[in-house]
Amino acid sequence: MLPPNFVATCKRHRVVLSIAFLIVFPLLMPFKAIAVNILIYGLFALGFNLMFGTLGLLSFGHAALFGAGAYACGIAIVHFGAPWWAGILGGTLGGMAIAALIGALAIRTRGIYFAMVTLALSQCVYFLAYQATAWTGGENGLRGVELSRIAAFGHSINFVDPLTRYYVVAFFVALALFILSRILASPFGAVLEAVRENEARARACGYDVRATRFMAFVISGGFCGLAGALQALHLSIVPIETLYYQTSGLVVMMALLGGMGTFFGPFVGAGVFLLLENLVSLWTVHWQLFVGAAFVACVLFFPRGIWGTLLMGRAK
Amino acid sequence: MSHAMTAQISRRTLLAASSVLAMPAIVRAQDSTIKIGFPVPLTGPYGTEAKDQVACAQIAIAEFNEAGGLGGRKAELLVRDDKLDPGEAATRTLELIENDRVSFIAGSLSASVQLAINNVAKQRGILFNSISQSDQIVALPDWSKTTFHEAMTPYLTAGAVGRYAFKNFGKKVVFLRADYAYGNEMIDGFKAAGAPMGIEVLADLRHPLGTTDYSTLLPRIQSLKPDILVLANFGRDQQISIKQATDFGLKKTTKIVAPILLYTSRLAAGAQAFEGVIGGTSYYWGIEANTPSAKAFNDKYRKANENRVPSDYGALGYAGVRSILAGVTRAGSTDTAKVVAAMEGLKYDSYKGAQEIRSCDHQSVQSVFIIESKSKDMANQYDVFNVLATDAANAENLRSCKDEGHA
Repeated sequence: MLPPNFVATCKRHRVVLSIAFLIVFPLLMPFKAIAVNILIYGLFALGFNLMFGTLGLLSFGHAALFGAGAYACGIAIVHFGAPWWAGILGGTLGGMAIAALIGALAIRTRGIYFAMVTLALSQCVYFLAYQATAWTGGENGLRGVELSRIAAFGHSINFVDPLTRYYVVAFFVALALFILSRILASPFGAVLEAVRENEARARACGYDVRATRFMAFVISGGFCGLAGALQALHLSIVPIETLYYQTSGLVVMMALLGGMGTFFGPFVGAGVFLLLENLVSLWTVHWQLFVGAAFVACVLFFPRGIWGTLLMGRAK
Repeated sequence: MSHAMTAQISRRTLLAASSVLAMPAIVRAQDSTIKIGFPVPLTGPYGTEAKDQVACAQIAIAEFNEAGGLGGRKAELLVRDDKLDPGEAATRTLELIENDRVSFIAGSLSASVQLAINNVAKQRGILFNSISQSDQIVALPDWSKTTFHEAMTPYLTAGAVGRYAFKNFGKKVVFLRADYAYGNEMIDGFKAAGAPMGIEVLADLRHPLGTTDYSTLLPRIQSLKPDILVLANFGRDQQISIKQATDFGLKKTTKIVAPILLYTSRLAAGAQAFEGVIGGTSYYWGIEANTPSAKAFNDKYRKANENRVPSDYGALGYAGVRSILAGVTRAGSTDTAKVVAAMEGLKYDSYKGAQEIRSCDHQSVQSVFIIESKSKDMANQYDVFNVLATDAANAENLRSCKDEGHA
């Protein structure tokens, strides 16, 4: 039998548990590159979930935030010869900058209108990158984000080695998890939930709803931008598809699959989706059929997402 | 007593058998197979072509293994679905290199995907032989010592088709391009070929990718009365624009020219729409009448694939893998540096006549076939093109290595 306060203990130490999981995770995966992809998309879905799960705003333009991070990191390294840490910092700031731009225009709308405005604005970013061939490589994507060694605190490590690359990415993901956990536990996190539950009451309590949403969108952009920057370093390229609206759809799907509004759900969603896609496509070209069927089954049997439903079961 | 003895001996025999036979077998399986990674878009709009590429690549592998491999070491093809997505292709390439430990990579069927694979492979010093069109891959900064390009470049294709068309059909030209890398590179190639011939460009029009209605553009083109309309678009765009141009009666006054006529598109769209359209191709099975290597390749393909014939892009799958294995045989090793040295300047005739890998940029110097789609006098269901001319293999027709940025 589990001790009665086991679930509560787990919740309190969610960051420690998540980090412990990140350490053993690559050993469970069929190959390291997919483990890194799951971390990156998990982080991306985490940033998205801050808007969708915590604040209750469905954005269909998160590809722009993810792509802005990837391109900012890539351009810093390819065109300006920036060191790796500046690339990651630039990517995070790039995500926040685009989020501030899109947020300033989109935040006044709600519901389906918010989804549509973010979609339209993210498509603007896509076509901008598509046309700015000199900077972004246009349709061919940005190539040459080559990072072979990472130097920090007097040590130089081999970034080409798959396991090392995984742990470098995992370090930043763990850092992001810690920051997000602090944000959610802060009074600001409580305001986010207040706005989601009852906007009018939150306003009556004296909170500036619009500023709260704007702040949340920019913070979300920071997480997505960091994910984008890590992807650029991992794949050594930035495909134009990163900014495409299908990427926005993908992250919505991952968040729903894992469980919206849960802390670890986005990672579960990203993991299940990417693993299914990769493993099924190894033995049949009709992988989309099976992944689609699995998605339908998840929606039918896990209405709160895989992780969300598991948590519900535990709570009972 | 004897019962126990038998049990003991059999157990011992079993142990001996497993240790003596199984262990070296495991070691041998790991060490000796020559693994070639093959990422192609099995799902997506080019799925038909990609499946044909796999079928053709398997023929090259079988040939190599039947000839005894490399001193008994067999080759193996590891096919992966890149889903026509550069990010997925990069991930799959990482998997092939880090997990499956492939020695070489061939494949890809789009400009952006091949550049993505190339970027990952070159960073890790793995030889990559690309089998789809791109000008950038053989130019700096994308090119590296381990980058090879088996397919034609847009510059070469458009140049060959342009030289033929401008000479035979007239000098007044209208360009209509799909506004993306493929269209732009092809039109650049046509213009480069046309400039010394003194062509007159009446209009240079663009349409967005995925256009379904060309009725605003076609009357304008018709009123300009060009000799030639160059349609630099691909796949479905090409099918729809050619069909609508036919409906507008444009073919009565103007010759329609496309840089590439795809065998698979032509089969899918039918004879009427493509009737009389001129284009280029890297390979057409019909050249077997006077090319022995094409005959040999087609026969092997027919035997393995229910008497069908290979497609143009499919055949590149064969050539791409075969060139690598020819390099391995010549080098007598799978060591990347040795195979690179063996492939540089390699002269071969895999399936379409003489080819040579240019040493400075690793581009395969090859012939381009000028073909015309036909709707009459077809010998069988696969007989869809007439070969009008062959632009012979000549390094002069490629962009010079200096222009590509090589020292």
